[in-house]
Amino acid sequence: MPTLNAALDASASGLAAERMRIEVAVSNLANAESTRGADGRPYRRRDVVLASQPVESFDSALGRTGAVGVRVASIVEDQAPERRRYEPSHPDADKDGYVGLPNVDPAEEMVDMVSAARAYQANLTAISLIRDLIQRALELGRG
Amino acid sequence: MNDISDAALVSVLQRQMTVAAARQVVAASNLANVDTPGFKSRELDFAATLDQSLAASLSTTHPGHLQAGGQAGPATQEVSDLPARRDGNTVQIDRELLSMTRAAGDFARAQTALAAKFRLVRYAISESR
Amino acid sequence: MSVERLVGSVQTVPILPSTGRDPLGPSPAAGFAEPLGRLVGSVEATNQQANRAVAGMIDGTADVPDAMIALQRADLTLQLTVQVRNKLVQAYQEMMRMPV
Repeated sequence: MPTLNAALDASASGLAAERMRIEVAVSNLANAESTRGADGRPYRRRDVVLASQPVESFDSALGRTGAVGVRVASIVEDQAPERRRYEPSHPDADKDGYVGLPNVDPAEEMVDMVSAARAYQANLTAISLIRDLIQRALELGRG
Repeated sequence: MNDISDAALVSVLQRQMTVAAARQVVAASNLANVDTPGFKSRELDFAATLDQSLAASLSTTHPGHLQAGGQAGPATQEVSDLPARRDGNTVQIDRELLSMTRAAGDFARAQTALAAKFRLVRYAISESR
Repeated sequence: MSVERLVGSVQTVPILPSTGRDPLGPSPAAGFAEPLGRLVGSVEATNQQANRAVAGMIDGTADVPDAMIALQRADLTLQLTVQVRNKLVQAYQEMMRMPV
């Protein structure tokens, strides 16, 4: 059944999307205290925006329902304002003694990371189950 | 009780496998989109599951007959009564994985029975020459 | 379906007519008919049982192991019947070769 292979594609796209979410969360965490990036400004938290994407297959071309995958539509900067902390001794402190910090909440990033990891795992399970199904279906065709 | 002909049984087994496979496709699609904003979890439409009732299948032997959607994609519908998260997504990982595990079992049972039937028939053919 | 065809072929194993003058009484071949008929009957019966069990497995009213066992029984019954038929045909052919 062609849609079964399309389902594998859908799950694979899920893996890629969740991996991207994990990478971005890790990057956010790593830069949580970065007060001065290449542009001289504090690091801005980033978000992965996902969008569903039907898997192109013979069936979808014929207008029948097939598998739906996902793609990374964009990676955007979180527009929430930066945090500010009173630390006059800091090299990047402004004239009032405040330092601008990234709008990263480490706890939230951890939650995102764990959730993405779980989704990643689920997609792996889906791939394994569908592969098994395809295998069994092929066995029927054998003697 | 009426006898169940081999042809009718094969037809039922075949449909069981087709429906199970379609379930897997839908569940995999849901899982891939568990973090897509606004995505609503989908399932096979009610007619597909209803059709699985054996009484219906065995009394009207429609070999390979499937509902609207045709060979590869039985119709799907949005799952009702699922809570949405902040991003509007309703997909629940555990629900989808459970559905996939069940469908995998359905498929395996039907496939094993069908393979056994084929072996039997093949043997009968080779011995009746 | 081929199981039916095989059952049909088993039923046409020629049975020697009993000759009135046979001092041994009814021809031994005629005695084959009954047990053979029973075997053929059980092929059909076990096949039906298997079909029912599998149907039950699908709609959840029967256990999977029961269905698998029923399938195996049908398989073995068929194989046994085929073997018996083959032996009968062999025996018949040998009898035909014997000089009267």
